This record gives sequence, C-alpha cells and structure tokens, in this order.
Amino acid sequence: MKMKKFLSLVLAGTMTLSLGSGIAFADDASQEQVLSVCLASEPDTLDPALNSSVDGATMLAHLFSGLAKWEQDEDGNLIIAADAAEELTEGVVGDDGKVTYTYTLKDGLTWSDGQPVTANDFVFAWNRAASFDLAADYGYMFEVVDGYADIWETDDDGNQVNPDAKLNVTAVDDKTIEVVLSNAVPYWNELLAFPTYFPVREDVVTDEGWATDPATYVNNGPYVMSDWAHNSVITLKKNEQYVDADTIKMPEIDFYLSDDANNMLTNFKNGDWTLIDDVPTNEIASLKEEYPDEFVVAGQIGTYYVCWNVNEDILPADSGLEGAEAEKARSEIRNAISLLFDRNYIVEEIGQAGQVPASSFVAMGMTDADGSEFYKNAGDSEDYDGYYNVAPEALEDNFNACIDVLKKYYEFDEATYQFTNFPTMTYLYNTSEGHKAIGEYLQSALAGVGITMNLENQEWATFLQTRKNGDYSIARNGWLADYNDPICFLDMWTTASGNNDVQFGKGDNADVQAYSLDLTDLGYETNVVDGTWAETYDVLISDIKSCTDNDTRYALMHRAEDLLMSTGCICPLYYYTDLYMVDSNLKGFFSNPLGYKYFMYCEF
Amino acid sequence: MNPKTLKYILKRLVLAVFTVWVVITITFFVMHAVPGGPFVGEKAVSPAVQKAMEAKYGLDKPLMEQYWTYLKDVLHFNFGPSLKQRGRQVVEVIGDGMKTSAKLGVIAAVMALAIGVVLGSVAALRRNTVADRIIMVMTTAFVSMPSFIMGSLLLVLFAIKLHLLPANGTTTSGLILPVITLMLSPMSYITRLTRSSMLDVLGQDYIRTARAKGVSRLKIIFGHALKNALIPVITYFGPMLAYIVTGSLVVEQIFAVPGIGRAFVSSITNRDYTMIMGTTIILASLIVIMNLVSDILYKVVDPRINLE
Repeated sequence: MKMKKFLSLVLAGTMTLSLGSGIAFADDASQEQVLSVCLASEPDTLDPALNSSVDGATMLAHLFSGLAKWEQDEDGNLIIAADAAEELTEGVVGDDGKVTYTYTLKDGLTWSDGQPVTANDFVFAWNRAASFDLAADYGYMFEVVDGYADIWETDDDGNQVNPDAKLNVTAVDDKTIEVVLSNAVPYWNELLAFPTYFPVREDVVTDEGWATDPATYVNNGPYVMSDWAHNSVITLKKNEQYVDADTIKMPEIDFYLSDDANNMLTNFKNGDWTLIDDVPTNEIASLKEEYPDEFVVAGQIGTYYVCWNVNEDILPADSGLEGAEAEKARSEIRNAISLLFDRNYIVEEIGQAGQVPASSFVAMGMTDADGSEFYKNAGDSEDYDGYYNVAPEALEDNFNACIDVLKKYYEFDEATYQFTNFPTMTYLYNTSEGHKAIGEYLQSALAGVGITMNLENQEWATFLQTRKNGDYSIARNGWLADYNDPICFLDMWTTASGNNDVQFGKGDNADVQAYSLDLTDLGYETNVVDGTWAETYDVLISDIKSCTDNDTRYALMHRAEDLLMSTGCICPLYYYTDLYMVDSNLKGFFSNPLGYKYFMYCEF
Repeated sequence: MNPKTLKYILKRLVLAVFTVWVVITITFFVMHAVPGGPFVGEKAVSPAVQKAMEAKYGLDKPLMEQYWTYLKDVLHFNFGPSLKQRGRQVVEVIGDGMKTSAKLGVIAAVMALAIGVVLGSVAALRRNTVADRIIMVMTTAFVSMPSFIMGSLLLVLFAIKLHLLPANGTTTSGLILPVITLMLSPMSYITRLTRSSMLDVLGQDYIRTARAKGVSRLKIIFGHALKNALIPVITYFGPMLAYIVTGSLVVEQIFAVPGIGRAFVSSITNRDYTMIMGTTIILASLIVIMNLVSDILYKVVDPRINLE
C-alpha cells in the first residue's frame, strides 16, 4: 500500500513537472515576440511637450508620429524622413528673411482612439509646448519659429507682456500646416523629429494627468501604451491603425523602469532583458572581454569638460595686475593649464568606454557648413584638430609650453620643477566614482608642478545649484547636444543664459573689457577691441541666430568658439560616448547621435 | 477597556499628532534650506520659465505663507501634485509605492515572526544540542550580515547562476528574493530574542510549579512559557514592521522593487518638495503608529505593565 502511494505520488509529480515545462516552453515561444529593454528609471513625464529626458524621448518616438522621424536608409545611414507629413518640403524665403514651410499631412492618419489627426492638432500642440503657461523645459525648441520671442517677452518683474501671443503657425485646412520661421535654420527638419514637436490633441490634454495613465493616453505613433505599472514597466503594443503599420516589426516592447546599473546587468546576464542602457563603471573592462558582441560603444554628441569660474582670482597676490590685464593673464594661465592634462590617460585608464580625447568644446559629431566635422575645422592649427594637440606624442611639448607660460606669472623652483606661489584651488564635482577618479587625476597632474587643488564633492542637486551660482573655483561639467547644430553648445555662454556656469559677464566680469571681436571680414560692422563679454560674445550669438547665410553662419559659430576657448575657462577633456549592451541576436536596432533608441524595426 | 487605558491611548494619540507636526515642520524648513530646487536641472531653464513654474506651484510666495498653506492642505489630506512627475498626484505615487512595499514588508515581517519564534523556541527547548548550535550560528551570521550583501549573494545564486528567480522585483515571483533578503535579519533577531527569553521563562518558579503539578509539557510550553516569552518579541515587532515597510531602501534598490523607499530617495535627489513632504509624513506616521500599537499590545500580553 505504501509503495503504491509512493508511486502514484511520483507519477503525479512527474506530470506536474512536465506540465510546468510545457508552460515554460509555450512562454518561450510567445516571448520571442516581446522585446524587453531597460533604459532608465520611470520618466518624469510621457507628455511630448514636457519631456526633457533621453529615455522619455525614446519612448515618445515609438508612441508619436511627428512631421518627421529618424530612420536608417538602405546603407544603414541615419536620415530624417517624412513621417506624418507627405514630404519634408523646402522653405520659401520672404523679403524679410522669414522662411515659410508648408506641409501636407498623409491620408488616413488617426489617433489611437480612432479620431483623425488634423493640421490643427499640430498647431495646437506647438503653441502649447511653446506657451508661457506650460513653461516646458524644452519650450525654447520653438525659438526659431516666428512669434516665439513675443510669447516670452517679459517685463522687469518677469511677467508676460503679451499673454495672447502665438507662434506663427496656421492650419490652412485639415491637412495643411503652414509655419513661418524667423530665419532659415539648417536643423529645422531635425527639430520636426524632436518630441517637443509631436502633435497632441486639445481635448485629450485638458486633463493634466492624461499622460500618466494608459486609459487616457491618446497618441498617433507606431505603438500604443497598453500598460504602465508605475516604476515597474511600460508596455507598448503595435498600433495597427498607424499609417505605416506594415513596416513595424516588433509587436510588443516592454520598457522596464530601473536606474540601478547592477540590477540592469543582472537582468541582461540572465537573459530577461535584451538591451540595457547603462552598465556599472567598474565592470566595463571585464564586460568588454566577456561580451565583445553585446557591449556597444556608440557615438554621442557631447563633451565632458572642466569649467573655471571666470571671477576666481588665480593670480599670485603680488601680481599687480588688475581689470582687463588681469583677466587676459588669467586666460593665458587657464589655457596653459589645459595643456597639462593627458586626455588619453583619462579615456583609456579612467573612462574606459571608448571616449575620444577632446580638443574643442563643440563636440565631435557636429557637422560643419560643408558637411565635414565641425571640431576638425576648429582652432587655427594646421597640424591638429581643435584647440590643442591631444596626441600622446604631443604631451611633452604641451607640458613645456604650459611651464613656459606659467613662469611668466609665478615663482618657479628649477630644482624641484615646482611653482611655489600658485594659490590653492578647489575642484568641485558631483558625487560619483567616475568623476572622483578624474578629479584625482587632475589633482595629481597639477601637484606635479606644485599646484595644490583640493577635491570637494556634492550631491547632484546641490552641486548644480552651487555651480550655477558660481560658488566654486573649478568644477566638473558636461554638455549633451539637443540637435545637430553647434549653436546648442554656444548660446549657453551668453551673459543671461541659465547655463552660464562660468559666470561670463556676471559679477566682476561684467565690467571687464578684455574681449575683442572683429567680424568685418564676414560682412558685419562689428569690430570691438577690448570690450566686455556682453559687447562681444552676446552680440556674436545674436548675429548667429539672425544670420540667414549658411556659410557665414558657420563661420560666425567658429568665431564664437574661438572667443570662448580664448578665455581658457573651458577645458574640454573628452567627447562622450553612449554605452549600452544589446543581445547580438537582435536585428534592425539603431540609435541616433542624441542617444534615442529605435526598436520598432527590430526582429530576433 | 478601562478608562485609564483609554485615557492613555488618547494621550498617546495627541502626542503622535504632535510628533508628526514636528517632523513636518523640521522637514519643511530644512528641505527649503538645502541648495537646489525642483526646477534646477543639468540643462537650466531660462529665468522666465523658472519663474513661471515657481508661480504655478506657489513657490514664489514667502516661505512662512507656503508653510501655512501646506499645513492647511495636509489637514485636508491634500498632499498636492508631484513637482517632477508632472500630472501625477503625490497621493497616487505614494499609494503605488506603498502597495508594493507593504506587500513586501508584511510578508517578510510575518515570516520573520513565524519562523523566528519557532526556531527560537526549538533552540531554547533543545538547549546545547546540535540543533541549538546550528540555529545560533546561522542566526548570528544573518543578523550581522548587511542586507546589500545578502541581497547580492541571493541574486548571484538564484538569478544568475541557477536562473530560478528573476532579478527584478516588478513581478510576483520577483518578490521572493527581496522578501527573503528582508526577512533574514529580523527573523534571526527574533529567534535569538525568543530563545533567551524562553530560557529565562523556563527557569521561573511558576513553570517548575506547573511541572511539579504534572501539567503536560506541551501545555507548559504553549499555555504558560511562550506567552510570557513573547513579550520582548512583541515590543520589537511593532517598530520592526514599520522599519521593514519603510526602511527597505537598500533592498528595493538592489532588486529594482518599485516601492516607497525608492520613491522617497528619488524625491530627495529630485528636490520634489511635495513628494519629500508626502513620503516623510507617511513614513513618520507609520513609525509613530506602530510604536503606539506595540505599546498597547505590550499591555495586553502583560497586565503587570502600567501604562501610566
């Protein structure tokens, strides 16, 4: 009896097990149709007008269809193609320099709730995104559109002057959109593919929480949001109503929401997630060996740099220099110190992620007027790209050049090869192992010539505020492009810019007449000798923004970078790369230089 | 319930409200004194945008006015909108996080209690045997091992090597590893607590008397010894439950569990003022209430305790 009972138990157990494995097998088969990825933690918003994060932009590119989109052509090159628009038309330049574009929407465009997409939806969405009421982070993306300046005109108290102002964009009929730009901009088509330019429908967004719940989320792109378990996973399912639905291959994409690189890696290793957008820094070296096909280093338009506070006095106490003279001396000193650092050591031994040593502020990947790389044409040297020679063999020459300059201002002890009266400085960075390692390297390089630099780290939000307020002497900094045009690296250094961490034209620097600018060879009247930052750089940036000739515009942008780099306040270290791990069986995946990832054409 | 106990509970409730108010006040002013703000980001917005946002959320008003407005809102259980996750209410975000954290915490706490009491009693009753030794060695190890090490070990073993359980805590099966990680340390503590107080009780005169009168062993253990031996466990359990629900920040991070702990930490790094206040109030209230409940339970199991 006992034996019989035992046997039947074994039998039942085996059956249960086989049932279990059968289910597991069925699961595997269906899982092939689902792509699980993890980019970052929960996005702050999936409202296209409000989003400012790269991971949010990736999801929005799957959820919405703007007038244009990023795509790969047959050769695998990234292009901007028409999406909701039938074609990306050429603009018509008027007598006043304003450019008018007219777009026709494709037939049969619908929202995910079945209603037709109209030209009015675009007009509404753009005006909303640029509006004072919404105050979106990326509202300035509409700066190029005629009317934007009127919307954001404020009085001395910061109150809006023209509450009724609108962008110069009109719906000619249900399918035709006409938009007028203040002047021609070469990156206009790219802007059309930017999430802030995606359409939303007025009756949908009146509910402020519309973008937080799949039940109220109405979109018009290749996917619909079928579920959003907050802080866990966002599930996108293919939108069969999408006008180009037959080109969309992946039926379901699950965006897992986590920002813990270790956890991401564990899930990648055990096969649960196909792509992870971050890896633990201390694992990079071993991952490169262990997963040569999965570990990907992609280009990204951005620069990691050190910024100086322009108002920090680094001259010896008895230098006797004041005002413009002192600032010119400081510029020379800062530029000399930029030569001291071995950028190859930083990227190879510390960064280890394929970063490229930087010799300019405008990052690698930005194109110039003739389609070549902007940074290769920067600076005036024939021998190297950019403003310094960052080749390993130039290290010694750079070092000697630095010493020669510093000797002019500081006491130098030939016996020990040390400067003895350089004031002590403090390097500020946000708490992170990677930033700390770089800070320690900079510290040791300076200590080699007798300059003492202490390290101070602060928590992220505190750090941002301290740097913005200019309460530092030297700080870690970084900048990623929003679109492929050098202006997004240059207009941040105007006096009034919120990103002017260097404090150009602020505090003591406001009255310092140390900057010169001659644009007469480019057909401008501007010729300032020893002017303030506002009289030179600010003027130059506004000239660039109103310039309608492409070649002149790029020439002006090179001038702006020349002026910026001449101050020595920006010390570029490397150009960023985008690191991620992706299963080598995934086909059809691509990412763009802004870091957006595209999964819709993926197959296993 | 006698009027004395009722009076005591009322007094404690008033004190609890006072404590939470103090926490609100301190957090509110410290939070505003810390550098950085909800609209400060890597890419700075223009001063006009910043001003428009501050006006929208009332952050342009004098601090005292903001404080009074906030207190009034809290009294109406209005915790306001999140400043970072636009379109979401603080209550929604906390509710989502609490659901997960509470599930995780309650399962872990109950398991810790059940297993801990059993193991502790076994160790006490089988004192100085191999079983006792093994239990003591294991619990010493678990008590002293930090949760991030235990969590990582379990992850490597069960998620990466054996492929038995998922590594992220977003699914139900994904909660198994975090529950175990969270449970082991308090379980071990309860085991040790139960063992020592059980040994203490077993040596008492009334147990010897009961034994002399011929009461069965089981009845002595369950009817007389355990009830008294559990008094320290109960005092420990209330605050432990509160900490396990609220304080599992590390475990939530390791296993990517979408709980209140993660919401709390990210609200601080984001300077999401309304979220910081909301999570702080919830966590503080939980701890205050749990302490109160365990004090009252203390009285229930041990009538000798004078609540005054």
